[in-house]
Amino acid sequence: MSRLSRRAAGGITLAAAVMLAVAGCTGGPIGQNTPQSSGQSFVSGSGTNFYKTGSRPVAPDISGTTLTGQHLSLASYRGSVVILNFWGSWCGPCRAEAPDLEALAAHFQPHGVRFLGIDIRDDPTGADAFEHTFGVTYPSLNDPGDEIALAFRGTVPPAAIPTTLVIDRSGRIAARIVGSVTYNGAKALITPVAAEHPVTTDGAAR
Amino acid sequence: MTGTPAGGNRGAGGTASPTVDPRQAELPHEGTAELADGAVSADDAVSADGAGPADGAVFADGARPAEPAPGPGAPRLGLVGWLRWGWRQLTSMRTALVLLFLLAVASVPGSVLPQEGVDPSAVSQYYAAHPALAPILNRLSLFSVFAAPWFAAIYLLLFLSLAGCVLPRTFRLVGAARQQPPRAPRRLARLPMAVSYVSPLPPAEALSSAGRLLGGKRFRLRTGDGWVSAEKGYLREVGNLLFHIALLALLVSVGLGGIFGYKANRLLVAGQSFANTPTALDVFRPGRLVSPSNLQPFSVALQSFSATYVSSGPQLDEPETFNAALRYSAAPNSPTRGFALRVNHPLTVDGVSVYLIGHGYAPEFKVTDGAGNVVFNGAVPFIPVEQAGLTSEGVVKVPDAAPSQLGFAGVFLPTAADQNGRLVSEFPAAQNPRVSLVSYAGNLGLNTGQSQSVYQLDLSGMHRLSVAPRPLAVGQSMTLPNGAGKITFTGYRQWISLAVTYDPGQLPALISGILALAGLILSFMVRRRRVFVRAAAGPDGHTVVEVGGLARSDAAGGFEVEFAELARELRTAQDGITESVSSDNDQSLSIREGE
Repeated sequence: MSRLSRRAAGGITLAAAVMLAVAGCTGGPIGQNTPQSSGQSFVSGSGTNFYKTGSRPVAPDISGTTLTGQHLSLASYRGSVVILNFWGSWCGPCRAEAPDLEALAAHFQPHGVRFLGIDIRDDPTGADAFEHTFGVTYPSLNDPGDEIALAFRGTVPPAAIPTTLVIDRSGRIAARIVGSVTYNGAKALITPVAAEHPVTTDGAAR
Repeated sequence: MTGTPAGGNRGAGGTASPTVDPRQAELPHEGTAELADGAVSADDAVSADGAGPADGAVFADGARPAEPAPGPGAPRLGLVGWLRWGWRQLTSMRTALVLLFLLAVASVPGSVLPQEGVDPSAVSQYYAAHPALAPILNRLSLFSVFAAPWFAAIYLLLFLSLAGCVLPRTFRLVGAARQQPPRAPRRLARLPMAVSYVSPLPPAEALSSAGRLLGGKRFRLRTGDGWVSAEKGYLREVGNLLFHIALLALLVSVGLGGIFGYKANRLLVAGQSFANTPTALDVFRPGRLVSPSNLQPFSVALQSFSATYVSSGPQLDEPETFNAALRYSAAPNSPTRGFALRVNHPLTVDGVSVYLIGHGYAPEFKVTDGAGNVVFNGAVPFIPVEQAGLTSEGVVKVPDAAPSQLGFAGVFLPTAADQNGRLVSEFPAAQNPRVSLVSYAGNLGLNTGQSQSVYQLDLSGMHRLSVAPRPLAVGQSMTLPNGAGKITFTGYRQWISLAVTYDPGQLPALISGILALAGLILSFMVRRRRVFVRAAAGPDGHTVVEVGGLARSDAAGGFEVEFAELARELRTAQDGITESVSSDNDQSLSIREGE
């Protein structure tokens, strides 16, 4: 092989490298426990995480305006277990879980468990119609700019729509359910958290 | 003092006859060949060794020296042998070239077919246009070519092939760059360039003078009994080394970018905003080690979008400008700034690039159900199905309508016109916007919990309402039969689609690429060249000095001139005070150049 072709080899190697760089910027879709959106134009998925008392991340203090126009903050729920449900009226799994969530809210009401919805990527009219359809009794904060979802960054953020977070009496995230909740599944998850007493050294919600 | 013309040793015919000096006719390819000349002395052999394979190419070529056979008998390839053979094949340049070619071919569908990771709405369009073909293509991963298993296989093999080739070469090049000059050959007259003359200095002094001169010219020196050997041009090896290391760095950067980077898409209607968090993204493709809970926390709002189109001439309907007026903040509670997003002018926040990759119309609808409640009021992004007039299609789902759910399949025409009884869009700008809707009632299939595409209606539980699809202008309504309700086309907005890309390997890859190029250029421009000086007492008591020169690559001539100048300087230095006596220096100092 002559030197010329070796030199060509050098050029080709560089071309290869450049191509790799180009090709490499479109890596593979390697999800973790967050399945992909397959053409439905939002990220969906499922999975449940439960955190033991010692390893629960502190929930951020979120606040906003409810669909009915009232100001509401998570801090005002301190001392209660809070079930935080991220939903949208257009989202099939959210519609599927809505009756179960309402039933859970009714079941856990005497046990100091409060439900709070976070309505994301929705228009207020559609959200109101959803609440009306399913007879939702608990309030929902409107989150048009995803500020509430973003506030959970670094803790246990909603990974898909819907996502449900269980926040214990000390303001720490005890569980996350990604995907539709079922009555029995969520009940089994919420019951032990509802039975806990708030920790005395309060390092929770700022 | 007159120098003895070196060429004279061989007579005039020496330069003319190609048989005398065949090595110049056939350019030597490994250093070993360069000094292998007729009578190879022990010295020659040593210097030949020194040349080594370092001068080689970037890649080991296909003609790599074969592994010595394990024994004189029938060579048996054991498992190790097969593995070694396989590795050799994989890391051979031929394989790398084949893989590279495959990679190029494999990328073609990625640029011909719409890609899920780049423009998911284009994929939806393709599905709509080719309902039979699209699922087959999807099965072959042709809508996500760069994420396809077969693409990854080619890519990884090429990566292995390159790494397997580059790493060992890098070690060899380090050795070559640190090498001593070879010993001087015994018979310098046989070198491609040689000069011989008589010096008044004793041999030792003549040699030390030569060493000083060559050393002053930054030659690397080696001295021995009666000779000085000097070599220059190690930058060639440095360049070679730089190229190889930069290539490895490039591979690593690309890999790191794939592991720690992510890509996402988001469609944003004018007036909307979103934050960089998974629930706010339409498509999210994280690298293996990306934590979705720790994406850069910026948010972006689209205030307005404008597009202008060529309104006459051969490029009619072609887009001229796109301008998206954004407000963004790098993190919650940090100040918001304005940004004019254009094609190829991405917004960069916190190392993340946000590109404008598409646009379209989102007609706004208000739906009143049979009970008289307003159950829908918002903008619905429609997807362009053709570019000339931006005719767009979309669906409106009204899951909370009573008594039954409502669905609409619509066509939006920015500049509607009647063309032989058919309604078409003549221009991409919204000059005469109309929307035409087909209405359905029944069960949208949303409440079962299945995730649905927001761009498709599942008609399995729906029935078509018998209302003639009449194109609606802004403000017009269509009343649905049997008291099912009413839909009003209240206006339209524009949307943009954004590609959010984080690739921490990009900058290192760019730097590596530039360094690789610099190294490559350096290794092509710089030649390794050697100068040997021998001095010995001649029969008449004078010192006979021989100077030989050898350029270790054929890259660009010019060493002849450099050598002549060096030889002249060497001789001048060694002539001492008698330098000016000789008036015929120029004629007597003849340089023999091989043909």
